[in-house]
Amino acid sequence: MKRIVVAAALAVTVAGGAIAWLRPPATAAEPPASYTPPSEADIPAGKFGDEIRMGEAIFRDPQAHAAAFVGNTLRCSNCHLQAGRLAGSAPMGPAYVSYPAYRSKNGHVNSFEERLQGCFRFSMNGKAPPLGNPVLVALESYSYWLAKGLPTDEKSPGRGFPALPKPALPVDYARGAAVYSQHCAMCHGGDGAGQSSGGHIVFPALWGAQSFNWGAGMASIKNAAEFIHANMPLGMGGTLTPQQAWDVAAYMDSQMRPQDPRYLGTVAATRAKFHGTPFSMYGEQVNGGVLGDPAGTPPAGTVPAAP
Amino acid sequence: MTSRFGTLTASAIGIAAILLAAGAGAARAVEADEAGRTVFGQSMAAGRPACTACHLANGAGQPDVGIPRLAGLSPSYIEAQLGYFATGVRANAAMAPYAAALSPAQRTQVAAYLGGLSAPPADEPSPAGPVLAHGRDLFLNGSEHAGLIGCTQCHGPTGLGVGDFSPRLAGQSAAYVSEQLRSWRAGHGRDPQDAFMRSVAPHLSDADLASVAAYVASLQPTGGAGP
Repeated sequence: MKRIVVAAALAVTVAGGAIAWLRPPATAAEPPASYTPPSEADIPAGKFGDEIRMGEAIFRDPQAHAAAFVGNTLRCSNCHLQAGRLAGSAPMGPAYVSYPAYRSKNGHVNSFEERLQGCFRFSMNGKAPPLGNPVLVALESYSYWLAKGLPTDEKSPGRGFPALPKPALPVDYARGAAVYSQHCAMCHGGDGAGQSSGGHIVFPALWGAQSFNWGAGMASIKNAAEFIHANMPLGMGGTLTPQQAWDVAAYMDSQMRPQDPRYLGTVAATRAKFHGTPFSMYGEQVNGGVLGDPAGTPPAGTVPAAP
Repeated sequence: MTSRFGTLTASAIGIAAILLAAGAGAARAVEADEAGRTVFGQSMAAGRPACTACHLANGAGQPDVGIPRLAGLSPSYIEAQLGYFATGVRANAAMAPYAAALSPAQRTQVAAYLGGLSAPPADEPSPAGPVLAHGRDLFLNGSEHAGLIGCTQCHGPTGLGVGDFSPRLAGQSAAYVSEQLRSWRAGHGRDPQDAFMRSVAPHLSDADLASVAAYVASLQPTGGAGP
C-alpha cells in the first residue's frame, strides 16, 4: 500500500536529460536492521551439508555451476553481498522466511523456488530452471540454512534494502553521471562493463549485454538507489548522500541493457503492461534513443553467457 | 602479366613492411625490458644499492621480514606506487629516495619489467589450521559482526586483484600485508585509492589481521582455490 502511494505521488519525465519528481518529500530512513547468519563452521555434516555447500558454490559462481540457466557474467553475490549473508543487501535468510508470498510482479502467490526462477530469468538474463531442478534445490537449501533461527515473518530484520528517503531535488541524469564518474567508474568502468580478476567478474557490469535485463528488480531506480545508498561504494555504504544515490541510480538505470523477456512486440505495450511506474526508465527517451528499442537492445535470455 | 607482377611486388613489399614493423616492435620491447632490468638491478643513485638488494633479482622479495614480492604485480600498480613514494604521498623512508631518483620513464620501465616476471610460488610457513581457517573465512565472507566486507569483493575470488584497481594479494608476504593493514587501521593514508582500505581496516582485530595476512600469503599467485 505504502509503495503504491509513493509511486503515485512521484512522476518522472525526461526532458533534456533531467528527470523531474513532482513531489519530493523527505522522510527519515528506517534504522539499519541487523541479521547475523550462521557461520560456515555451522554447516551440518552429511548430504544436507553438501547441498548447502553446492548452493553457496552456485551463488558465488553461477557460470561454473548453473551455466545452462545463466545469460550474463553476473554472480548472485554481486548484489547479494557476502554471498547472501549481509543485512541490507537482500540477504537470503530473511528472503527465505518471506515466502510463499503474493507478488504484484506476476499476480499470484510465489513459492521461494518460483522467486529464484525470476532471478535467473531477469537478473541473470538467462532461463528459469524448472521447479525441482537441482540448481534451485541447492539454492533453496543454502537459503533455508542461512535463515536458521529467523521467524516466518515478512518483516524479518535485514531483509531487502533499507528504505531511503525520497530525493530532495528531482533526480538528474547529468548529476548522476558526475557521481558515477567520481565514485563508481574506478571499479565498474566508465562504460559500465565491470572488471574481472583471473577470469571471474568481480565488479559487475551495470549495463550493456552482460548486465541484468529490463525485467530485473535492479532496473528499478528505487531498488537501485536503496541498494547503492546502503552498500556502495563497497565497504563504504552510507557515504553517498541519498540525493547522490538517487541520481546515480537514475543514471545507471537510464542505460542500454538486455530486453525485458516479457516483451510484448512493442516498447510502448511492454512499458504499459510491465513498467508503468516512475521508477522504470524503460520506454523513455534518453540521449536521443528510446530505452528498450529492439534496434539497440541486446536480446533477453541468452544462454549460455556470451564470452 | 605486368599487372600481376606488380600486384605480387606490392604484396611482397607489404609483407616485408609488416615483418619489419613487427621486428622493430619486438626489438623495442626487448630494449624496454632491458631498460627495466637495468633500473631494477643497478644502483640508480650514488651510494645506494640496487632495488634487487632488498627485493632480490627475481623480484621475490623477502617475505619473512616484510619486504614485498613485486614480481608479477600489475605494472600500473607498481608505477603508481613508485610515484607516491617519490612525492611522499606514501610515506616510506626506505623507498622515498629510490623512487625519487627515478625519472617517470624509468618508473614505467621498471614497473613493466617487474610485471613481466613470474610471481614466485607461495612458500611461507602457514600458521596452525584454525588461524588459517579464520583468515579464509574473513577473506571470503568478511564478518557480519564487525561490519567487514570480504577481501574477495575487491581483490577477486582467488586474490588475484582487479586491473588497475586492486593489487594481487595471493602469495604476498604476510608480514608486509600485516604492516599495511596496521597502518590503514591506524588511519594513515597511503594513496588516493586507499579510502577503501582505511574504511575496512579499523574493523579488524589483531587476531583477524594476522589470520587474513597469513591466509593471503598462502594463496598461490597463479590463482585457484586456497587451502
